[in-house]
Amino acid sequence: MTSIRHEDYGLADALEALRRAEACIETPPHVEAAVLAAWDEEHAHRTASRPRSLWRNAAAVAAAITIAIGLAQLGQQLQRTTQRAPERSEDSRTLLLVGEPILQGEPVRMVRMRVPAATLTGLGVRAVTGTPGEHVDVDVIVGEDGVARAIRVGR
Amino acid sequence: MRDATRTTDGDLSDSDLMRRTAAGDRDAFTVLYQRHHAMVYRFARLMTGSNSAAEDIVQEVFLVVMRDAARYDPARAALSSYLYGVARHHTRRRLARDRQFVAFDGECCDTAQYVTEVDVNATLERRQTLQQLRRAILSLPRKYREVIVLCDLQSVSYNDAAAALGCAVGTIRSRLHRARNLLTQKMGCAMASEEDHQRQSVRCAV
Repeated sequence: MTSIRHEDYGLADALEALRRAEACIETPPHVEAAVLAAWDEEHAHRTASRPRSLWRNAAAVAAAITIAIGLAQLGQQLQRTTQRAPERSEDSRTLLLVGEPILQGEPVRMVRMRVPAATLTGLGVRAVTGTPGEHVDVDVIVGEDGVARAIRVGR
Repeated sequence: MRDATRTTDGDLSDSDLMRRTAAGDRDAFTVLYQRHHAMVYRFARLMTGSNSAAEDIVQEVFLVVMRDAARYDPARAALSSYLYGVARHHTRRRLARDRQFVAFDGECCDTAQYVTEVDVNATLERRQTLQQLRRAILSLPRKYREVIVLCDLQSVSYNDAAAALGCAVGTIRSRLHRARNLLTQKMGCAMASEEDHQRQSVRCAV
């Protein structure tokens, strides 16, 4: 207890009485129960989140492998197609047909990708010029079934 | 005030318990709660004047302990100062949210303390004085209320109060001086108005 001046004697008395009265007050037991329940919930959540993150990582790895295999197959198709003959579109871009041809009226989607020029050159795309380190925009035309139909390479 | 690094009779020190809590030791957390819940509860109760607000604040303080135990640095302050600091933060937030001081819930244990006294008048008078004092403390500006609650009602040293409130020891001294003066004035006014009330009652009875 800190010292209280003599002239505050009445106040000191009252404060001391209040201090003694307050000293026997305890936190209600349900508060402890709530705090410990919060602990259990927090730690159960942490424990449960570990396997979830493992599954998430596994799914990410599987997706990466699928994409890599898909790209490799696409590259092989691209190489076979380009060995035949690249088609030139009117706006001086090269249209490479891969896989099934696009049917008339077939709804398609176009996905734009940026790939290193060296990669395309390695696949035999002669339309691509520039330094090997340069990146080139490529439009991949995807059919309704999600399979690439054609690749359009800009100059 | 409990020393953060002290170990007595094989008990773990507060800092050891905080380390274990940070590592996910539920038993260590339970011991920490049992050691410190009362002081946090009393502080919050005296600061807010509400039992339910104090209960909420105790929960919030120990949620902080549970989540941020690893951040506690025993070199900076004793655990009790750290807990008072956290409790003070949550009390401020609570008061700001409520925007007004809530009347005391009225469940005070002084009834148990004084019920055995023979002189009933003295008991009532003392209880009345305590109620007036509680009201006077609640009506103090927050910075003065904090030092009264910590130093005069929780027996916290000036140094630990300074650590808990994040100010210099000199500031604690000056605030305490000012707070006591304000309380004396308020209690004087309360006593005077109570005497007036009693005099009027007697006059009416006559």
